[in-house]
Amino acid sequence: MIEVDGLVKHYGPVEAVRGISFEAADGKITALLGPNGAGKSTTLRILSTVAAPDQGRACIAHIDVLEDPMSVRRQIGVLPHNSGLYQRLTGVENIRYFGRLQNLAPQHLETRIDQLVDQLDMHDFCHRRTAGYSQGQKVKVALARALVHDPQHIMLDEPTNGLDVMATRALRDIILGLKQAGKCVLFSSHIMQEVDALCDNVVVIGAGEVKFDGAIGALRDHAGTQDLEDAFVQMAGLGAAS
Amino acid sequence: MNGLRVVFAKEMIDNLRDRRTLLSSFSVSILGPIFFVGLMVFVMERALGESDSAAKFAVVGAEYAPQLMQYLEQQNTEITTVQADDPRELVTRGEHELVLVINPDYAERYQQGNMNTLILVHDSSELSSGRRNLSQLRSYINRYGRTVGQLRLWLRGLDPSLSAPITTQELDVASPAARALTILASLPYFMVLVIFMGGFYLAIDTTAGEREHGSLEPLLIQPITRAHLVLGKVAATSVFGLLSLMVFLISLYLAVPFVPFERVGMALEISIGQLTQILLLSVPLIVFAAALLTVVASFAKSYKEAQTYLTIVILVPTLPLILAQLMSLETSLKIMAVPSLSQATLMSDIIKGDGFEWTLVLVSMLTTVAYASALAWLAVVLYRRERILG
Repeated sequence: MIEVDGLVKHYGPVEAVRGISFEAADGKITALLGPNGAGKSTTLRILSTVAAPDQGRACIAHIDVLEDPMSVRRQIGVLPHNSGLYQRLTGVENIRYFGRLQNLAPQHLETRIDQLVDQLDMHDFCHRRTAGYSQGQKVKVALARALVHDPQHIMLDEPTNGLDVMATRALRDIILGLKQAGKCVLFSSHIMQEVDALCDNVVVIGAGEVKFDGAIGALRDHAGTQDLEDAFVQMAGLGAAS
Repeated sequence: MNGLRVVFAKEMIDNLRDRRTLLSSFSVSILGPIFFVGLMVFVMERALGESDSAAKFAVVGAEYAPQLMQYLEQQNTEITTVQADDPRELVTRGEHELVLVINPDYAERYQQGNMNTLILVHDSSELSSGRRNLSQLRSYINRYGRTVGQLRLWLRGLDPSLSAPITTQELDVASPAARALTILASLPYFMVLVIFMGGFYLAIDTTAGEREHGSLEPLLIQPITRAHLVLGKVAATSVFGLLSLMVFLISLYLAVPFVPFERVGMALEISIGQLTQILLLSVPLIVFAAALLTVVASFAKSYKEAQTYLTIVILVPTLPLILAQLMSLETSLKIMAVPSLSQATLMSDIIKGDGFEWTLVLVSMLTTVAYASALAWLAVVLYRRERILG
């Protein structure tokens, strides 16, 4: 369960986020949808405890990110928008490093790594250094790294960026699998089709504010158009600009 | 503490796999002492050679001045007699470094008591031994000329000292051993430099490098305190500094026996005990260097920027050493409060075999540890700020 209430965040004179509120339930995939610079990444940074909001509250599993960031960090797995792997370590070593930082018991950690290697189909490459990995392979390792401690909350920052069709499909299946396991998945994207294919709920963000919060179907009705892209453009307040 | 260990282990493995880090950390450590010993041997051989080698030169027209030639042959000389129309060519073509030219009318002028001018052809743009040959030959000729002049004055019944109201005498006290010692004095400077070089790339890779590769943000999301995170990184950087100094000392230990100290009447032996003392003495400085490099690299936005900053930082510890040389500071309590200077001073005392005072060593270690802790704390503070993500 992720709860966000009235988040405000400034970077100097720039207001990145201006009062964002939404909820993401367990067992559901929630999309944060918005154009570049809308405040998606800032919101995810606040939720992942690396940035503090100027105002408002963000809670994960009812724990305030400001009050007890350490507990929050054990509850979340984050896939950053660029995979951020260590190039001189192998895929498995990258995963193991984060597993150790999560303080997993060594035996349990190795079992979990084997499990993730199976689940994400990484046998062919996971013992090579990540320097020569394809984009799809990098995302898989980064995802395994985020999931190593089996967190209840998973945040994915534009995960399909730079992936080809097959890799995107594979990733989609994995995300659906997480939903079936009852996880709370928060997914940021600026791609409509992506959101349509995966998400239960969508939170449209434009210029640092929530423009819409509800089911995908409701978004179409609300915007009065069957075309999701039109609905998105209208909701995000991009119509006037374009 | 677990987090600190995990970060430390990862940084060690990661950087031991990096050829660039290894090259920069250990190349100076390995090659430094070899270069150093080479320089010592070179300087000593030269110093030894100068004192007993003969002045080498060629003579054109030797037959015109048999007396002068006889005198020169009795001196410490190696003379080649040559025939040439243009003696200058002998030098420009490089056949001889120095040519003495005696004019055909030498004997006639000598007889009449006139002045004779001898020409010394040489090339001052050439370094090498030519210059020494020249000054040696010049002094022989001058001495001969003076003797002849004195004889002429005697013959006319005058006191020869009339024509020489002032004379000089040179006394060069720079013994070969003293020259060797000047080089030896730069050894502590090398050691301090090696400590900083050892941690150079690690400090960049674990801070600015991590940020540039986008791995910093996921790392900060892990449940580990910033203090453990940063101290794990500083610890890895310190270990590289320590390894670098150890490699330097081992390399020095193996290279020093090749210096022919006994030939200049010096006995310099660097024992394992002395090297261990130097190593232990340096531990606080190693941590200080790691913390300083980490703090500065944390301010940089990219790998390249960090490289530029740290190149400047590496010069900083050398400043007090240069100042100390200029002001010829003696080992004292005040100096012990300056990191790098205190270690360098104590190192040179240890190398000279003077031993050291425990109180001074303690003051040096404690003050440097204090500075190192303050810097490490500063690094932690930097990592607690949001802006560390850039």
